[in-house]
Amino acid sequence: MTTQLQRQGSATAVQGTGYMGDQGSPRLQRVPSSRSNHNAPQFNWSPASTAQEDAGQEAAVPPKDLRGLPIPMALKRAISQVQQMQVPVLSSFQSWKRSKAKSLSRGRKSIRGFLNYIKLWRKSLNQIGGNFGDGVQSYFLFLRFLVVLNFLSFMLIAGFVLIPSIVFRSVASDPVNMTGPAECRQYDHNPAALVKFYSYFLDFLSGTGFMEYTYLFYGYYNNTMVAGSDFSYNIPLAYLFTAVFYFAFCLICITAHMGTAVRVAVATGGGATGSYSRIVFTGWDYGCLGDRSTKLKQKNLHYQLQVDLEEDRIKNEAASLTLGQKIFLYSSRIVLSLVAFGLIIAAFFAIYQATIFSQSKIDEIGVLGLIYEYLPSIVITAGNFVVPVLCDQIALLERYNPSITVIVALLRSVFLRMVSLGVLLFTLWSQITCFQGVSGKCKLCHYNYESYPCWETRVGQEMYKLTLFDLLITIAMLVLVEFPRRIVVDSSSSKLAQMVGRQEFVVPANVLGLVYGQTVVWTGALFCPLLPLINTLKFVIVFYCKKITLFSNCRPAAKTFRSTKSKVFFLLVLLFGWSLALVALIYSIAQIHPSMSCGPFRSLSSMWTIIPDSFYGLSQTSQGFLFYIGSQRFSIPLVLFFSVVMCYFIALASVYGTSVNLLKAQLKLEARDKQFLVKQIEALSRTLGVAR
Amino acid sequence: MGATASHLGKDLLSEYQELTFLTKQEILLAHKRFSELLSKEDRAHPNPRVPTEAILTLPELKSNPFRARICRVFSTSESKDGLSFEDFLDLLSAFSDSATLEIKSHYAFRIFDFDEDGTLDESDLEKLVNCLTGETDDTRLSPEEMKQLISNILEESDIDKDGTVNLSEFQHVISRSPDFVSSFKIVL
Repeated sequence: MTTQLQRQGSATAVQGTGYMGDQGSPRLQRVPSSRSNHNAPQFNWSPASTAQEDAGQEAAVPPKDLRGLPIPMALKRAISQVQQMQVPVLSSFQSWKRSKAKSLSRGRKSIRGFLNYIKLWRKSLNQIGGNFGDGVQSYFLFLRFLVVLNFLSFMLIAGFVLIPSIVFRSVASDPVNMTGPAECRQYDHNPAALVKFYSYFLDFLSGTGFMEYTYLFYGYYNNTMVAGSDFSYNIPLAYLFTAVFYFAFCLICITAHMGTAVRVAVATGGGATGSYSRIVFTGWDYGCLGDRSTKLKQKNLHYQLQVDLEEDRIKNEAASLTLGQKIFLYSSRIVLSLVAFGLIIAAFFAIYQATIFSQSKIDEIGVLGLIYEYLPSIVITAGNFVVPVLCDQIALLERYNPSITVIVALLRSVFLRMVSLGVLLFTLWSQITCFQGVSGKCKLCHYNYESYPCWETRVGQEMYKLTLFDLLITIAMLVLVEFPRRIVVDSSSSKLAQMVGRQEFVVPANVLGLVYGQTVVWTGALFCPLLPLINTLKFVIVFYCKKITLFSNCRPAAKTFRSTKSKVFFLLVLLFGWSLALVALIYSIAQIHPSMSCGPFRSLSSMWTIIPDSFYGLSQTSQGFLFYIGSQRFSIPLVLFFSVVMCYFIALASVYGTSVNLLKAQLKLEARDKQFLVKQIEALSRTLGVAR
Repeated sequence: MGATASHLGKDLLSEYQELTFLTKQEILLAHKRFSELLSKEDRAHPNPRVPTEAILTLPELKSNPFRARICRVFSTSESKDGLSFEDFLDLLSAFSDSATLEIKSHYAFRIFDFDEDGTLDESDLEKLVNCLTGETDDTRLSPEEMKQLISNILEESDIDKDGTVNLSEFQHVISRSPDFVSSFKIVL
């Protein structure tokens, strides 16, 4: 293939490829033409390259850009050959820099290839996505993200709290001085001498008995403060800092994972406009494998388009409602919202009563005792099953748009699940700090020391029970409900069975389950440091269970909504759970008196006070430095600086918005000019033709 | 070009790595799958070309509604029928994990341009929507729905109001959709 170099000093002449759509794109100005009959391609070197050569820098397109040119391979090879022939005169430093850059990019490429290869469950996820669509795949991707997050958190906790505790416990075992009344310091954690055999199993399920005084719960950790000559480690301080850093780490991971999606959503002002073109141009998933999933995807898109078109029609109709009809519609919506809200409040009240009842029966033994222990979890799970179903029916009556109906029902479920956890915590707290009822119990130790000699361990046990119960329910549903349903539907041919049909994998409800489980772990991590590890194992088991049920029992869902399967939506709900757990954490650290009989904070009046105490142990310069950072002399200028930066960015954003609008108007004008000129040409040629 | 059908030379392999977005393993896997599609006599040919019907037997492309358009767009032969190995690599590079948004949107535009006139007019959009929803009668949109849909699409994306969607307008729509890069993917 011959190549011809043509240097043109004037403005570049755009040589289109054989495809005519390129004329608008400035990126392709240097693309040679490629007719199928192998005309010699012509190259254009813009004047910019001559200017760059004069400046002594590298000329020509850097090799990396060749991959991004939408031309056939043969032409890319020709361009790269020309580039290599045109070796510019580089100093040795620049050629060294270039070769270093090349090897760096090659190393980065190989690392990325390796990382892609070892990604957890890659093949399973591809299989799921190809067969069931990207809605279901997004659930499993979210689950994988949570597994990795929990595992990394466990590494964090193990490194800073667990391993030092193990080391110091085996090395030094002197109890640090404990202050406080003697009754508050009583903590009998030794199990009874004669225990029945099955009580070990019951203890494993509820975290009591032999499991109570272990590294699993807060009560086992000592408040050792090792201070050697060149090495000092303060376990309470490490415990507190690890808990705080764990929350910050999770927040950073979640926001980083949201990444590009959020930036695009914020920059383009949400997805309201352009939804039709977006569905049509970007809706197809090229990873679909097989006829079945292709037909499923087509049905999905068909449904989505129909729903959107119908929503438009409804909106046009709604705008033409009479005033009386509008009043009726809005008042019925308000009434139904109140009904749904009332249902949720009733669920909360049931949880409150169940928790109080369960805490009062803490000394029962045997299977009945186990049921009493698990009563809050049972009531919460029952509420989470029943109330969303009712809310779904109510949402149908409210006659919103289809997609708004789904979102409203979903938000109600989120509210129910998260705040029921909050109600459980509130009940526990009111019991521990004698919020109501008998106030004499709490006068002596600032907490209810008779029922809760080590209240943090008790809270940790509740969270542990919630986690375990969630897992048991998942497995029980799989075995007792989903498999039998599939067997019944497949084997019987009655109309009822066909109408009920095989199970659908409902993505939003499952995602809510994951977010709920993660929120429980966040709330409980301060009191049960091994909970992230347990949660990692739990989520791994859930992954395989859900995968099995997906492939064996489920039929693919024909109706999904874009908003409810988006990654940003899942992560926003997760952030909501995180903020609730943060509130619980702040309250536990700052307000409640730690128990005096167990745990790393037993001699302090609140968990937070360890920080001021150790602060005054620092050297004078560190104290001075930290005081300066906190003082007004430093913080006010900092705040002013950040306000100025923010104003700058807001101004920049508004300027960009105006220029986008101006450019759009300009495009419209130019198109109209073009049409006008074309008409003039036609008219002119007609008059000339007539004249001839 | 120095490559026999059974083995890919090392410098050729590194050249393909430079010119495409594929990793070494992906190129080798592509070579293996491409060789399996070749018939006996084509293997001896220095630059073999697999006919379109054979390419369409690949499971990744078999049920894709755009499979004929994809093969046509990436083919460099005169009759636009059949892919050489380098065309196949170009195809996989554009559909790979690490390809940029610009190249994906460019090729998406060419795939959707059924009459190959450089813009997406109403007939192109209609054929596109039919591909997306399926060709059978019960999955097709009704004519009124189709008309309303096409007018909505043109209203949203046709900025200069000339009745067609050109490449820049198409890329403008694509740039506002964060899912496009991950869905425009074919991995062997």
